[in-house]
Amino acid sequence: MTGDIVEAARLIGAGIAMIGALGGGIGIGLSIQGAMQGMARNPDAYSNLFVNMLLGVAFSEAIAIYCLVIAFVILFVV
Amino acid sequence: MKKIEKHQQRHGFFRWIALALLILTGLAASFIPPVQPDIEAASAEVAGPLFSLPVIGDFYLTNSLIGLVLVDLVIIGLALAVRKILKSGSIPGKSIGGVVIAILEVLFELTEKTAGKWTKKVFPWFATITLTVLVANWLDLIPGVESVGLLVPSATGSAIKTLIPGVLSTITRQTEGTKLYSLISFVRAPSTDLNFTIALSLIAVIGIQAMGLRYRGLSYLRRFFNVSTLFSKPGLGVMDFLVSILELISEFAKIVSFAFRLFGNVFAGMVLIALSGTLLPVFGQSGVLLFELFMGLIQALVFGLLTMVFMSQAMHSEEQEETPKDELPIPVVEG
Repeated sequence: MTGDIVEAARLIGAGIAMIGALGGGIGIGLSIQGAMQGMARNPDAYSNLFVNMLLGVAFSEAIAIYCLVIAFVILFVV
Repeated sequence: MKKIEKHQQRHGFFRWIALALLILTGLAASFIPPVQPDIEAASAEVAGPLFSLPVIGDFYLTNSLIGLVLVDLVIIGLALAVRKILKSGSIPGKSIGGVVIAILEVLFELTEKTAGKWTKKVFPWFATITLTVLVANWLDLIPGVESVGLLVPSATGSAIKTLIPGVLSTITRQTEGTKLYSLISFVRAPSTDLNFTIALSLIAVIGIQAMGLRYRGLSYLRRFFNVSTLFSKPGLGVMDFLVSILELISEFAKIVSFAFRLFGNVFAGMVLIALSGTLLPVFGQSGVLLFELFMGLIQALVFGLLTMVFMSQAMHSEEQEETPKDELPIPVVEG
């Protein structure tokens, strides 16, 4: 019985850890929105904007990936 | 005319091979129902301790090390293919070396836009890291990489079914009262091992500091311990000093963020591929594989791109940044 409760708590904890991906999603959406608007107004700046957009996406994605790593640690290591 | 016929014939031939493979997959999946394999975050030891150092401990031959050797062999092969093209002086055609040359040209143009006059110093780091991570990520997608290995008894594994006695077995659905085994694969993609990603990010971050120190001298350290305005402007000088300390902390955060971004993405891809093999219908896994092909490319590009951007930031001194007008990339209008 206690083992089952611990197992259930582990799974719920891994799920809760992924709530942090919300922030990463908002950040990626905002940075892509800005880059798309810039590209639409000034198509010549496409290549510059695209590289910087990828960098911004990678930075905000990293936050969500930390949550994912924590969830994986809870699921597969602990 | 003859060439076109040959091309069409080959196209049709490959189509039939694909159809045969699809039917074979369906038959195999009904003969041996797929089960979810053990997923471990740490790489497993394939062979016993090779040697041991006094403080650090024993060194094992892990399966991600074997994967890393394979990655290195692939990259050496690519380098030899490029060398063959360059030595013969021919136009790179539809060969693998031509593809590598095209990739490197794209990367070089990207570097020129950011690094300016330091392009030739920064580009080798960028290209090396990108190619290594790209091959290491895509090693994950080859069938058999994480599913062929040794079966060892374990408490949390699955039951096994013998196909050829003593040679070939596979794990199947669990039944009562049988011995349980789990699989230690021979090869594992290096990017799914935290040791590889931390080592690579240490190389990248230490390389960034070394290039900064080499080309800006001791004035590079002013970025981290900014005491130049501490006494001349008392209020703002303290602020400058605190900001530079924050800069120092962010260098350490770079190591963690580099390592966990790559590890998290590729490990998540590995778990997704393993799970989709048991969850989705037979052909559904192909979509996941395509997605992971894309993710591996993006992650390799991001790792290399961030290294390149940080490195060119470290090498450009502040005096140059104040007169940037003639160094800004001028957008080229084509057509």
